[in-house]
Amino acid sequence: MKLTCIQDNLKKSIQACEKVVTKRNTLPILNNLLLEADKNSLKIEATNLEIGIIAKIGAKVEKTGRIAVPAKLISSFFSNLPSGEKISLETDKEENLKIKSGSNKTIIKSNIADDFPLIPLKVKEFILKIPAIFFRMIFSKVSPAIAINEARQELTGFNLILKEEELFWAATDSFRLSEYKLERKNIEVDEAEYMRVAQNGSEIIIPFNVLAEINRIISTDLNMEDNNKINISIEEGQIFFEFNRIKIVSRLINGKYPEYKHIIPNKYETKLICDKITLQNGIKLAGLFASGNSNEIRLKIDSQKKNVFLLASGSETGENSTELKYDVHGPSQEVVFNAKYLLDGVLAVSTKEVMILINNDTSPIAIKEVSGKTKEELNDFIYIVMPIKK
Amino acid sequence: MNNEELWKTALGEIELSISKANFKTWFKNTSILSYEDNHIIIGVPNGFAKEWLENKYNIYILKSLRNIQENIQSVSCNIITNSKNVPIQNAQPSMDAIVPPQNITLNKKSYFPSFLENNLNQKYTFENFVVGGSNELARAACFAVSQNLGNSYNPLFIYGGVGLGKTHLIQSIGNEIIKRNPALNVKYVSSERFTSNLIDAIKNQKANEFKESYQKIDLLIIDDIQFISGKEKTQEEFFHIFNYLYQLNKQIVLSSDRPPKAIQILEERLRSRFEGGMIADVSMPDHETRVAILRKKALKDKIEISNEAIEFIASNIKHNVRELEGALNRVSVSSQLTNQSIDLTYAKNSLSDIISSGKKKGITYKHILKTVSSFYEVSIDDLIAKNRKKEVVLPRQIAMFLMRQELQFSFPGIGDKLGGRDHTTVIHACEKISSAIEIDEKLKESLEDIKNRIYSVI
Repeated sequence: MKLTCIQDNLKKSIQACEKVVTKRNTLPILNNLLLEADKNSLKIEATNLEIGIIAKIGAKVEKTGRIAVPAKLISSFFSNLPSGEKISLETDKEENLKIKSGSNKTIIKSNIADDFPLIPLKVKEFILKIPAIFFRMIFSKVSPAIAINEARQELTGFNLILKEEELFWAATDSFRLSEYKLERKNIEVDEAEYMRVAQNGSEIIIPFNVLAEINRIISTDLNMEDNNKINISIEEGQIFFEFNRIKIVSRLINGKYPEYKHIIPNKYETKLICDKITLQNGIKLAGLFASGNSNEIRLKIDSQKKNVFLLASGSETGENSTELKYDVHGPSQEVVFNAKYLLDGVLAVSTKEVMILINNDTSPIAIKEVSGKTKEELNDFIYIVMPIKK
Repeated sequence: MNNEELWKTALGEIELSISKANFKTWFKNTSILSYEDNHIIIGVPNGFAKEWLENKYNIYILKSLRNIQENIQSVSCNIITNSKNVPIQNAQPSMDAIVPPQNITLNKKSYFPSFLENNLNQKYTFENFVVGGSNELARAACFAVSQNLGNSYNPLFIYGGVGLGKTHLIQSIGNEIIKRNPALNVKYVSSERFTSNLIDAIKNQKANEFKESYQKIDLLIIDDIQFISGKEKTQEEFFHIFNYLYQLNKQIVLSSDRPPKAIQILEERLRSRFEGGMIADVSMPDHETRVAILRKKALKDKIEISNEAIEFIASNIKHNVRELEGALNRVSVSSQLTNQSIDLTYAKNSLSDIISSGKKKGITYKHILKTVSSFYEVSIDDLIAKNRKKEVVLPRQIAMFLMRQELQFSFPGIGDKLGGRDHTTVIHACEKISSAIEIDEKLKESLEDIKNRIYSVI
């Protein structure tokens, strides 16, 4: 292998791939990045056998070939290497990778690439094309409710349900649930394939890790514009993503996602609208004094006295209360929450005001966004949290 | 032969031709989905395995399948997903997505779900325990305890290496007691389980209930007690439970892989209590016992096997009863598949890869030198070099010992590989290390550690 390419492109691709490499690997080869030079491009590949990533960059190739380079080493090497225009890579017979950039010369001991796993490639057409800005929004709104390291594996991923008119993205850790509804007309889909899948009532569970990885890459890549598309194709047991010369494949989580639609109430007794920043700060303050293991804080709405309070008290910590502006429709309520769960929901809201919808102190509470103009609730995003029973 | 057996046999063969790490990575959770028209479809858990098996290991798989069924033409892979391999009723866990937080943390009933159970495995009894010189004392002590609970030897402490029958013996006590008086409260736990129950209890602020539930026990059996070493809180709780039971003359039985003295980071007060009762060890069975164990198992499982074959197995597998039984199982399963009777040659062939250097496949002396040098942080050159620096002497002797033990190199051969040393030097090293591990626990542990590393590199 012998080639020249732009140093900055190579560095970015290596750093995008390197994060996929995990520490505990049964196969030593998985601690490497695969560099593979074709006629006029260089591919960088990494995998942990759950996620696989391929980044492709343009290169002037004199001699094709492939080599497996220790991932941690080459990634740290590039983050410390003084920036330069061009960089040249060359391998020798003893599996050494020679790198030349400006005045710096390096030889990295590498490995034969023969044992490097083959990263599966998609067979079907793309079914969805989601603009990066939508992807980031969905990710930031849904992921707070994700279960991390959960015994129930199906909860460690996003549930995606394809319906004829909408796509539902949801996550839950069994204490709260977050769901985002994406209108199908807002994104580009492959009509025939989409309808076929939607009519079969298709739903899949996408591992959180791969979504977090994509979110990281598109948020740090300056070349990624808001309306650049993330192309998605879904096959048996796996999902493929493609954007900006990067291809990612991940397994899908095997399992049945719990039914959750029936938990979301159809109507609510009491509706409270408050300023997001005030509410968020109030919860944070109350959380400091919250009592018990479950971090309890109270939301008290009094429709006679026309006031709303956020309260917390602990026998060892003290007391705290914040009065919120009274903007309520419906009867009095007093509900106990886990401060963290409530805060996560409020933080996921991106409008200026937040709506909290309550039925009583034992049934699910909803958090929604509020339109700035009409003061009406928006129905794209919903965050459900269970109150703590007294 | 059905698909499952076919695949098992094929895997047995594939396992020999590739490294352990590769085998584990690529063949875990695979199965034959269908076998029609001489074409086999293998179910694999993910896309990576599909690509790899189809493109890289296709030849191995096809070859080993053909060895069993000659007419197989081709092999392909499919990814197994939920919809295909899980029965419908399991696929519908109409479990609620969210539940009130309190219900989860404070559900009393589900709290000690296993507590009422005694956790004993009924297949372990005194009747089917083979007694030999190596375990006579331990067996007698256990039997005495079961005849006179709490009054003969309390606590009873049994120790010995893996697979020598500790668990069998101590569970036999429990089973014997239950047989005689089902009303008695018997509890068998591993120390790991004890610790995790304790942690749960502390987390849920139920430490008292935890303690109380243990105090109702008439016979408490804790397996692998050495794992509480270094866990201070567990040791403390255990100490209180121990004292309470002991005062009431309730029987306590403990097992460990080493004597109380050799358990590191064990509080002195516990150590002295462990040593206060009866300590008995189970050591490696002698040849006669091994033969007896094999005979007994063959009789029980109705395996027809010639005496020479039994002698062969017993004289080649010496250190572990579990491996001994495993070898017998292996011979018997493969003989059923091929419909041959088990004689000496058959046993030799089918065990060729376990016995002799079988499990060491793929290991060379270079692996050993590399691992030893990285373990002791000396360079390979130093190991080979002609000097007697203090810091390299022990690593060098260990390398020699391992080459002898793991690879069966000849003494002159080892000397040759290590910078042309004389074979007497090597003999001395091997003798020194093998006698040192008898008395030096720390060295023994390091040696185990090195061996693990050696086998995990491939």
